Amino acid sequence: MSETRVLEIRRKALEANEAVARRLREGWENTLVLNLISSPGSGKTTLLEATVSRLREEYRIAVLEGDVETERDADRIRALGVPAHQILTGGACHLEAKLVEKNYREADFGDLDILFIENVGNLICPTSYDLGEDFKVALLSTAEGEDKPFKYPAIFSKAEVSIITKADLLPHLPFDVEAVREQISTLNPSGRILLTSTLSGEGIDQWCDLLREKLGDKRARSA
Amino acid sequence: MHEFGIALEILKTCREAAAEFRGARISKVRIAVGELTAIEPDLLDSAWEAAIADQPEEGSKLEIEFRPAHQFCPECQAEKPRSEGSWMRLCPDCGMPLMIDGGDELDVLQLEILKEDEDE
Repeated sequence: MSETRVLEIRRKALEANEAVARRLREGWENTLVLNLISSPGSGKTTLLEATVSRLREEYRIAVLEGDVETERDADRIRALGVPAHQILTGGACHLEAKLVEKNYREADFGDLDILFIENVGNLICPTSYDLGEDFKVALLSTAEGEDKPFKYPAIFSKAEVSIITKADLLPHLPFDVEAVREQISTLNPSGRILLTSTLSGEGIDQWCDLLREKLGDKRARSA
Repeated sequence: MHEFGIALEILKTCREAAAEFRGARISKVRIAVGELTAIEPDLLDSAWEAAIADQPEEGSKLEIEFRPAHQFCPECQAEKPRSEGSWMRLCPDCGMPLMIDGGDELDVLQLEILKEDEDE
């Protein structure tokens, strides 16, 4: 004889990830934590190089670099005198909270003002995983084409800040910045949009100001 | 392609829930997937098949309930239907930001387990 039983569960499928993310967020009460998401080659590491170069005297900063393979990105940040730790996913297309927690502990950065988590280059998979960050930042380079926000809506609707990178290429590309801004605003009416170029320096001051503002807001809230 | 990782998480959740019924076999799992989760139900179904291959759960069925996102315009006081594939968050009629309800579900709802009677 066999008997069929029905069990009501009603649990989030990613509950395990979310529990770790909550734990991380509690520990980062005084640290501004950003989760940077984009396609490979949009300029996440290059933007971070420009950012830490400007802010390293002002704040205690560290970077967790997610990649499938190699220490290259962490090396680029360390070359600027800022602590960085490489998270190798060994093929996985995104970071998960457990992986972040393990590597953050290993890295032992000490007290931080700002922690950047650079996700694996991928516009889709990282979107589903909370890493305990304060907010997600989506990057889109002008060379990728102006249709991307509507083609990859999940990330652009969830990212509190969207950054259009490589603005210096605009004279050479059929890329309508206003059309892209409009797409992002349609997906995410309250999101902030920045246009940057690490070569010309355009937008980097605004980006650094935004980080100062967000850190200030967070500290004011937790005080 | 992150559906496989999600299938493994679902399997783990099911095993935890079924653990107290020793000797029971999971035969069906019902989950809810919201349309704003960036999870493709067909891929998740394939991922489930791969996750349970050669496992005690092999042969169990994954039933996926699709949960749409509802959009409401506070200005027009009306529900604004989503067109296929559209993620618009602004009212197409008045341009106000829409209120979104639901669509972000990724929940394990219900398990069906088969329990063999031990003393017969």
